[in-house]
Amino acid sequence: MKKKKLRWGMIFVYLFIGIFGIITVFPFIYMILGGLMSYQETTTIPPTLIPKTLRWSNYQKVFEQAPFARYFLNTFITAATTTIVTLFTSILGAFAMTNLKFKGKGFIQLIFLSLLMVPGEAIIFTNYNTIAHLGLLNTYLGLVLPFLTSIFYMYYLQSYFTAISPTIYKAAMIDGASDWEYIWKILVPMSKGGLITVALLSFISGWNSFLWPLLVTNEDKMRLLNNGLAAFASDAGAQTQLQLAAATLTVVPVLIVYFIFRKQIIRGVVRNDLKA
Amino acid sequence: MKDNQKKAWLFLAPAIICVTVFSIWPILRAFTMSFQGGPLIDLQFNGLSNYQYIFSDPEFWRAIMNTAIYSFLAVPIALIISVVLAWFIFSKIKHTAFFETMFFMPYVTSTIAIGIVFRYIFNGEYGLLNFLLKLVHLPQPDWLDNPSLSLVSLIIFGIWSSLAFNIVILMGALRNIEPNYYVLADMYGATSREKFWRITVPQLVPTLAFLLTVNLIGAFKIYTQVYALFNGQAGVGNSAMTAVYYIYNKFQIVGTPGVAMAATVVLFLFILFVTFLQRKLMKKVNS
Repeated sequence: MKKKKLRWGMIFVYLFIGIFGIITVFPFIYMILGGLMSYQETTTIPPTLIPKTLRWSNYQKVFEQAPFARYFLNTFITAATTTIVTLFTSILGAFAMTNLKFKGKGFIQLIFLSLLMVPGEAIIFTNYNTIAHLGLLNTYLGLVLPFLTSIFYMYYLQSYFTAISPTIYKAAMIDGASDWEYIWKILVPMSKGGLITVALLSFISGWNSFLWPLLVTNEDKMRLLNNGLAAFASDAGAQTQLQLAAATLTVVPVLIVYFIFRKQIIRGVVRNDLKA
Repeated sequence: MKDNQKKAWLFLAPAIICVTVFSIWPILRAFTMSFQGGPLIDLQFNGLSNYQYIFSDPEFWRAIMNTAIYSFLAVPIALIISVVLAWFIFSKIKHTAFFETMFFMPYVTSTIAIGIVFRYIFNGEYGLLNFLLKLVHLPQPDWLDNPSLSLVSLIIFGIWSSLAFNIVILMGALRNIEPNYYVLADMYGATSREKFWRITVPQLVPTLAFLLTVNLIGAFKIYTQVYALFNGQAGVGNSAMTAVYYIYNKFQIVGTPGVAMAATVVLFLFILFVTFLQRKLMKKVNS
C-alpha cells in the first residue's frame, strides 16, 4: 500500500518538473527553430515545429535589413567598458572600506547602504537630464557614464576581501609594499572567484540593458542590441521568422557565456541574496 | 597603525564621485523637478500642481492599479511554483545541477528577445498557445489584442521570467538547511510531507520573506516586460499601462518631466516603504 502511494507521488513530481521544464526551455528552442523557418512555416496552423529546410539565409536578411553587426559592437563596447571600470572602482572602494581606518567611514557606510535601496528607475530619468545637459546623447560615454561604479558590487567584493585575514595586509605593509601593490598583487589574485562572478553578472546585465540606452540613444548607429532588436521587431512587421532569427542572435551569445560559467554565475546570484 | 588614514578617500574617490553625480544628485533633482512645470529646457516652479495632476489623472490610477494587480498576482503565484519546483529538484530527483542550470536560463536572457517569442506564442491567429487550447477544446482568446486580457498575458510572461531567480535562491537556502534535522526526522519515522511542512518550510521563512519583497519591488518597477510583450506599447489602448511605463510616457513621449517626476517620487516613496517593511520583517524573522 505504502509503496504504491509513493510511486504516484513520484509520477506527480516528474510530471510537475517535466511540465515546467518544458515551459521554461521551449521558448528558447522555438525561437531558434522559428528563426530557421520560412514565413509560411511560422504562420501555418497547425504550427510547424521542425522546419523542412534550415533557412540560414534568414540571418543574412536580418543583417541586411538592420545594422546588427553595429549593434553587437556597440553592446560589446558598453558592456565591457562598464564591467572593467566598475570592477576597478569597486575594488578600490572595497579595499578602502575593508582595510583602512578613517574618520567618516561610518557615515560613508550609511550613505552607501541607503543608496542600495534606491530603485534605478527612480533616478534614470534625471540621469538622462544630466547626460543631455553634458551633450552626451548618442555617445558611448553617455551610455556608460552612470554605470561606472556599483555600490552593490562593492559590497559583494567586501565580503571576499574581509575573508582575507588583516594580518596579511599588515605583513605586506611591514615588508614595504604600497597599498597599490597590495591590491593588485595580493587582494585581487586571492579574490579571483568573486571578481570573475562580478565581471560575469555585470557584463550580462550590461548586455541585456534596455531602458537606459532607449533613453540616451536615438540614432540607429548608436543603438544597443536590445533596442535594435525592439526597433527591428516593429519595422520587420509581419516577418516573424526574421524577428525570431534576430532574437536568437541576441540571446545565444549570453547563453554560451552562461553555459560555460554557469557555476560561477549561479553561485554569485545566490551569494548576493545571503548578503542582503 | 594610524586611526585616520586619509588616503582612504583617494581610493574611494572614483566611487564617491560617480555615486554623487549619478545617484545622489538625480534623487534630489527628481524631488525638485516634481515641483516644476514646462519642458526640460525651460522648467518653472509650479508648486504642487504636478501632484494634483497625477492624482486626478485616471491614466495614473490605472497604471497604479495594473501595477498592483500584476504584483500581487504574479509574485505569489511564481513564488509558490518556485518553492514546489525547488523542493522537488532538491529532494526528489537526481541531476540537481542539470535542472538548476536549465531553470535558471531565463534569468540571463534578454527580456526583449524572449518577448518576441512570447508574442509569437500568444498570437491569436497562428500562436502555439491557442493551438494547444484548441486541441483540448478550450476557448482561444486573442491574448495580445484583447484589452481585457493584456494584464493576464503580462502576468503569465512575468511568472515565466521570475521563476529562475526564485528557484536558484531557494535551492541555495535548501542546501543550507542542517541535514541532521532530516536524519532525526527519519529516525522518528516522519513522512516526506511532514518533513516538508515541519522542517523545510519553517527553515525557508527568511528566504521566502526576502524573495517576496525583492520580487514585489521588482514587480512595482515592471517596464521592459510590457514593452517587449506589446511591441513598444502598453497593450491595446494602454490596457497594460504600468507605473514606470506611465513615468516614461510622461517624461519622454508627452514631454512633461515635472509630472513624470511627481509620479517617480510617489513610486520611490512607496518602494522605500516596502523596503522598510522588509527590514522590520527580516529582523522579526531572524530574532
